[in-house]
Order: sequence, then C-alpha cells, then structure tokens
Amino acid sequence: MNQRPPIWTLKFLSWFCPDHLYEEIVGDLVQKFNRDVKAIGEKRANRRLIWNTVCFFRPEIILRNRFSYSLINTIMLRNYFTIAFRNVLKNKVFSAINIFGLGIGLAACLLIFQFVSFELSYDTFNEKLDRTYRITNNRFQNGKLIQHGTIMYPTIGPVMAKDYPEIEMYTRLMPGGGLNVKVEEKVFKGENSHFVDEHFLSVFTFPLLAGERTSALKDRYTMVLTERTAIKYFGVLDKNYSSVIGKVVYWGLDTQPYKITGVCSNVPENSHIQFDALVSYATLFSADNPDADNSWTWSDMRHYLVLKPGVDYKSLESKFPDFSQRYFQGDKVSGSVEKFYLQPMRDAHLYSDYEYDIAKIASGQAVWAMVIVAAFVLLIAWINYINLTTSRALDRAKEVGLRKVMGALRSQLIKHFLFESILISLFAFLIALVIILLSQSSFNQMIDGNLSWWRVLSEMNTSTTMILITVMLAGVLLSGFYPAFVLSAYQPVTVLKGKFQRSSRGQFLRKALVVFQFTSSAALITGTLIVSKQLRFMNDADLGINIHNTLIVQAPERTAWDSTFIQRVESYKYELTKIEGVVSAATSWSLPGDRVGRSFGIRLADQPSESHFTMSNMGVDHNFFDTYGIKIIAGRKFLPSDHRIDFQEIESVILNINAVKLLGLDSAQDAIGRQIIWGSDKKKIFIVGVVNNFHQQSLKNPMEPMIFGPAYSTYSSTSIKLENADKEKTQRIIADVRMIFSKFFPDNAFDYSFMEDRYKRQYNDDNRFGKVISVFTILAIIISCLGLVGLSSYMAVQRTKEIGIRKVLGASLFSIVTLLSSSFIKLVLLATLLALPIAYVVAQNWLEGYAYKITPGALIFALPVILILLIAAFTMSFQVMRTAKTNPADTLKYE
Amino acid sequence: MAKEYLGEFEELILTMVAALQEDAYGAAISEEIETRLKREVNLSAVHVTLYRLEDKGLIKSSMGGGTNERGGRRKRIFTITSAGMAMLRAMKDARIDLWKLVPQLKMTGI
Repeated sequence: MNQRPPIWTLKFLSWFCPDHLYEEIVGDLVQKFNRDVKAIGEKRANRRLIWNTVCFFRPEIILRNRFSYSLINTIMLRNYFTIAFRNVLKNKVFSAINIFGLGIGLAACLLIFQFVSFELSYDTFNEKLDRTYRITNNRFQNGKLIQHGTIMYPTIGPVMAKDYPEIEMYTRLMPGGGLNVKVEEKVFKGENSHFVDEHFLSVFTFPLLAGERTSALKDRYTMVLTERTAIKYFGVLDKNYSSVIGKVVYWGLDTQPYKITGVCSNVPENSHIQFDALVSYATLFSADNPDADNSWTWSDMRHYLVLKPGVDYKSLESKFPDFSQRYFQGDKVSGSVEKFYLQPMRDAHLYSDYEYDIAKIASGQAVWAMVIVAAFVLLIAWINYINLTTSRALDRAKEVGLRKVMGALRSQLIKHFLFESILISLFAFLIALVIILLSQSSFNQMIDGNLSWWRVLSEMNTSTTMILITVMLAGVLLSGFYPAFVLSAYQPVTVLKGKFQRSSRGQFLRKALVVFQFTSSAALITGTLIVSKQLRFMNDADLGINIHNTLIVQAPERTAWDSTFIQRVESYKYELTKIEGVVSAATSWSLPGDRVGRSFGIRLADQPSESHFTMSNMGVDHNFFDTYGIKIIAGRKFLPSDHRIDFQEIESVILNINAVKLLGLDSAQDAIGRQIIWGSDKKKIFIVGVVNNFHQQSLKNPMEPMIFGPAYSTYSSTSIKLENADKEKTQRIIADVRMIFSKFFPDNAFDYSFMEDRYKRQYNDDNRFGKVISVFTILAIIISCLGLVGLSSYMAVQRTKEIGIRKVLGASLFSIVTLLSSSFIKLVLLATLLALPIAYVVAQNWLEGYAYKITPGALIFALPVILILLIAAFTMSFQVMRTAKTNPADTLKYE
Repeated sequence: MAKEYLGEFEELILTMVAALQEDAYGAAISEEIETRLKREVNLSAVHVTLYRLEDKGLIKSSMGGGTNERGGRRKRIFTITSAGMAMLRAMKDARIDLWKLVPQLKMTGI
C-alpha cells in the first residue's frame, strides 16, 4: 500500500501555504512521493519530497496568503503614494518641518551611535577578552588610601599563578616609554614601547606577521615591532616582514644590540594598550642581577591574568586578602598594606580611575550620557512627528469621513496612515543619511576620532544590529500608530456635519508631549551650561604655576651620564638663555601635567621609624621654580651647589605645603632646617625650602604632597620660558634652540612642544564630551522649536476667525498675542521647572569626578529657564504676530 | 498580437494544459514534461507558473476528484480559456512567420 510521507514536511507546508492552494499542492506532492517510492525507493523519495516541499517556500506561493493581499495590491499602494505625496505637497512648510525635524534627530542619533559603538568596542578583538583581567592594587598607610593603581611588584603574577589553579596564564608589562634608537646609522625617536614577558602575545590578540609567538619575547634584548614601526625603521617593502627578523637596533647609548624577533600587526585603535614596539621583559634584568625579578618592593609592573574557562573572578578575588597577608604581612614588607582586586579587561577602557594607568581610558559615564542624549533627541523628534500629525487631524478629518462613507474600513485607514508615516520616516532617513555624510568629517574632528558608517557596520555584531533595527522600527511604528488610530477613529457623521472639534483628550496628550520635549531641552541646556562652566573653570584656574609661553624640548637620552654632565647642561642652559626672547631654562624629570612617581617611606628624622608618609617626588634643577613661577613660601630655592653627580650625596630637598602638613609640621617656616629620611638607604636630608602647592596634574586630581630633589638626568626634558612673542619670532627662537641642542647633544633627535598644549591635553576627553553635548543640545532645541513653530502656526490658523471677531470687537494687538502665546509659554515654563531638579542631580553626579569643581549657582539654573522661554517666544512670535496683525475683513469676509 | 507575451516555460505549461485536457493538474503536467521532454522540472515551479497563467486569464481551474494515491486529496484541474488558446495560436503563428524569414540552409560549402 501507500507509504506515509513524513508528517512534518506537510506541517511545514501548511504553515506558509495559502489555505485555498494547500489541498491540491499536498495532493500533488503525495502523489509524486508515492510514485517515487515505487521508482527509486523510500529513502530517496523521502529526500525528494522534502526538497520539493522546501521549493514551495517561494514568494510566488507565500505572497498568495491573506496578509500579502495588501502588499500585492498595487492599485491601493499607488493610491496611498499619491495621497501621501499630495499631502506632503499641500502643506510644504509643515511637511518640511516634519521631515527635517525627524531627519536631524535620526542623524544626530546615528552619529552618536557610531561614537558609542566604537567606545564600547574597546578590546573586543581580543579572543580571550572574557577571561582576561587586570590586577589592580590599593595601598593603605595609617588606614588611609595612598595609592589606587595598576602598578605592583614583579612577583605578583607568577606567585598568584602558582598559588591559584584557576589562573591559566599571566603576563607582565612595564612601560618602556619612548624609544630612542639607532637603526643602520639612522636615529628614530618617539615610538612607544613596553617591556612585556613572553606570555603577552598569547594573552592578547596581536597577531604576529613574522616570528614565533611563544618564543619571540623570551630572550634578553629581543624586540617585536608593529608593522608600522617595521616599515619606518627598515623600509620593509611588500609586507615581507620576515626580512627584518634577526636585524638589530641600538637603544639609547646601550652598546648591546636588540634583536628583532617578530613583527605584529598594528595595534587597533580600540585597544586599551597602545604600543609601537615590545621589548622582552627579560631585558629589564641584567645577567648579574636576576634577583630584581623577585622583588616585593619594586612596583612598576602591570599584571594581566587569563582565568580558566568558567572561573568566577569574584571568588578568586575573595582569596586575595589571604594572599596579601601571606606575602606582605600587613605593611611589613612594602611599607603599606596591599589589597588586590581584579578588573575585567572589558572595563579597562571605560571604567578605570587608576593612577599610573597605561590604558587609553575614557569616561564610561560620558559615553552613557551621550546615549541618553541621543535617545532624547530621537524621542523629541518622534514626538514632534506625532504632535504635528495629530494637530493636523482637522485637515484630514473630512477626508477620513468621506472615505468611511465610501466604505473604507477602519483597518484600511490605519494601514493607509501607517503607510504615510513609514513613507515620511523613509524620507527622513534619507535626509539623515545625507546629513551624516556631510557632517561626518566635522564630527570626526570634534570627537578626535576616525569613524565612519562602513567601519561601524563592519564591526557591529548581531545583537547591536538587532537593537538598532528594533529601535528604529519601533520608533517608526509607534510614532505612526498613534496618529493612525486617532485619525481613523473619526465618526463620519460628526465630521461631515461640520461640527467636528478636536477632543480635549488629544489636546492633553499633545500638551504633555510638548512639556516632555521642553523638559528634555531645558535639562540638556542646564547640563551643557554646567559642563562648559566646569571646563572653563579648569582652563582658567590659577594652577599655582605658570605654563604659558613655555617651550618643551625632549630629553637628550642618547647622552652619556658622566662627571661632566652637570657642567654640560649648565652651559647648555646658559646658551639657551642668551637667545633673544628666552627668559630662563630649566630641566626636570617630569613636567607639569605628568603623573609623577611616589615615594612611600618618607618621615622626619625625629619621627619614630615605623611611621611612613607618601609623597610624589620630582627631580628638578635650580632654575625650575623660577621658570615656572612657583612661589617659595619659606627657605630658599635650590642652588647650583645643591646638585651632585652622585644622587646618594644629595643633602637638600624642597617640600610643598601639603607635604609639610602631611608630616605634621605647624608651618612652612617650621620645616626649614629639619631633616627627613628619604630613600632606601635611610639617609638624612635637610629641608631647605617650602614651595606653594600647585596643580602638577589637571583639576580632576587633588594636589598631592610633593618632595623635590635637586637632580639632573639624561631623561630630563628642558622647559624654556619665552617672552611674549609672535609666531615668526617663536619660530626663530625654536630654530636657535635646535641649533644649541644639537651642538650640545649631537646624535639626538630634536623634538619640541608647548607646555600649555601638553597640559591642556589632560582635558581632551572632557572637552570632547563638552563639545558633543553642546552640539546635540542645540540640535534638541532646534527640533523642539521646529515642533513649536509647526504647532503654534497651526493653532493660529485654526483661530483666525476667532481672532478676526475679537479684533472687530476691539481687542488690542497685545491681548491677541498674549492669547495666542500664553498657553504655549505656560507649557514651556512648566517644562523648565520640571527640568531643573533632574539637571541638578545629574550635574552633581558628573561633578563628583573632579577634585576641583564649580558649585552650580542660582544663575546657572535660572539661565536655561529664561533662555528656553526666550527661544520659545521668539520662534512663535513670527507666526503669532502675523496672525494677530491680519485684517479681520480678510478672514471674516467668507462667513 | 496580444500585448502580453509568455516566457518559454509559461508557454510550455500552457501547451501542456491544452494538450492534457481533463488530466491537466500540477503533478501530471510535471510528469508529462519529464517523460516527454526528458527535462527535470520542479513541482513548485509548475504550480507557480500555473497560478500565474491563471492570474493572466489564460487558464481557469476547478477542483477535480481525489485518488487513493493522493491520500484522497482533490486535484486542481486546469483548462485552457479561449484567451489562452488564442495566445497559443498567435504565438505559434508568429513563430512560423519568423521561421519563414530564416534563409533555408543550402548544404554547399561543407
């Protein structure tokens, strides 16, 4: 007898196949199946049946379903198009406002989406991202947090990996700073390097183009270059990177050649670790001093752990207090109590607030703030759309009435209006794309990035795509649905009798939406004002240090440190000051704006030996305080006689006020002549002077206690104070400086910058945030105002007759203007009042991140209210005035 | 000549409907094409084409009887309409007219 075909294939068919075709198609399939069974056997017949069934899953069949009815009903579709098109043209201003408002909103939203998705993509290229963690370290002295950092001792990684089986791999990194190398008689400077151990390339995904991943960084004096650096150093052609393997470079004055053992692809922009070259970790330890690697006090290493799959990092973290107790015994080993934590690498870019961080960081808060702003801009645009469409309901009411009389069903009308809104959204989307294309480069400039849609799309994963599409679709449908339902609900009888009036419920909703729009706008304005005021505050603040007109010349690292060095630098500085226009010159280990190192075991000589104080330290020469205009409060500045070629013989230090306070001394004067203990050899050193506190770092950081030693070094940059000079003169001075520099330090690359620019770089992230927020606030206001213009002009048109009668009866221009605008002004006022508390809370939250900040005063909250009211009044004024001025005879003559 | 024209496969199916008469339904047509023309056709293609021809008014359909082989399901029997017949004829005539324009091959020069 007949074989039974597999039942699920028929079920599948019934799922998509139109009912009226189902029976015969199944019949044909079964008939064919039965004949196949006889001809070619059951197995192959089965397969053929499945294939044949699947083949029916084609548009020609599926579209014969009921829902496809309207889709293939091209006549109605064409009609919708025509009607929509006519409606757009009938009210050009209105449609333009509608479409442009939505277009601007979409564009703004999509631009921010680009930025945000880039920021969120950090480190995602790492294959082991989900299992990789940074170890972070807090240090406490006397119960107080003295360091919140990512640096710690070289032993931490290996010992943890030995103690805890959850750890699959560890790697250690120490920043090597700018490279200064000689390659085949050419000198290169400035490539950023890190010392990393041989696990580094296994923990992070920086694919090697040449060389062996596991062994490349094993031996002392080996280096891995990035593609870019390899091309720069060796002029590699045609990506033939293996040609540089085995070549050597000379670093600084080191006579030891560094061998190139690998070339890796360039570091992606969205990596929190950035480098141009990697140097093997083993290089740090000379053959005669391998013990340094076992140090529990030398803290310069960054550690990363890869955990085994399925390990909960929190539970591993909870074992770290024991670890700390076991190896550090309170503060007995390193002078401070050590606490260790794990930070998922996913958070390294956006959620890091560590000192001595090598990560490229940005504020996660700011990124999410932008997301919120984008969401609001888009919401405002959609609300505009809803408001404008429903406010025009009266225009369409007669059309709806007539359509219904002619037999249109409500569902058809809904479909019709939905179609129109989809069409308008599409237009808006096209405009948004054009806006994005036009503004991409200026946006990139603003955020100092290199974004484009191609890039975003190529890097996007499915979940973000889905979210984006869902949001867009939901927006289009929701903003389309409401007008569609309202418009299609009209009763033809009331509409066509001419007694139709807008329902008060619709009015209320419209008002609520206007309030929402202006609440968001006002909150954004307040936020923008606070952000910009804080930025201005930081830019204009008295730093306690004068960074203007200061030229910085990078250190002459390829110079021998010998007994003549101090003398040479002194003559070099002397010659610099001889240049016309140069006021003074100084050298220092670090520069204002740099994160300086800390010393942990400082105390006064007469304090008990178990007391420890922590201060930031800086080696400066005797011209430093003068050059930067730092005020001496007590004692004296450094003298040339304070300098020693051997650091062990240094006998004088200078403190800042905070350091004096930290040591528990009463006054600056009190500190002069006292001795302190600084350094591992417990030598007593005299305090010879006290300087005022100054902002060594940006105003985000508090001013720390600082200790200054009189020191020169081959790693000291030169700060050259200039007189006020025009560009041309400055260029001349720079040329002279270059000449003198190369006279004293031949074989060194000359590299200069300006202090002010360097210092302001600390605010890059904040400035970027400020700019983006202000631009999008302006956009939000523009869109809100567009909506207000549309709405008010429409209201005004509605009331022309009423106004005509009022005027005939003697109403003044003023009273009519008040009448027309008061309802909106009231709404806007209410909106701003609602916005203030929201803005206040958010702003306070944001200001938390700054050690020195403004206190938002009454003015900063009053200003947005006034501003918004003015803007709203201004946008409405044209329309209102025009309506109020019309001659009543013109409007009433038709009655 | 009719404004609409038919594709090659449409014409083939239309011809089959005309030829098979009372026995013109999807499975039979596809089988007939396979046996007579030695040409593999997919059942769904045949069905889709039949529906399209019906949309164009060249054939019409009615439900016929079921057989045991089909599990008792009815067949949809297609019959050609006069419009379909006219179209078929017009196409045939046009072909023949065109064929006449082709110079008759002379077997010289080989």
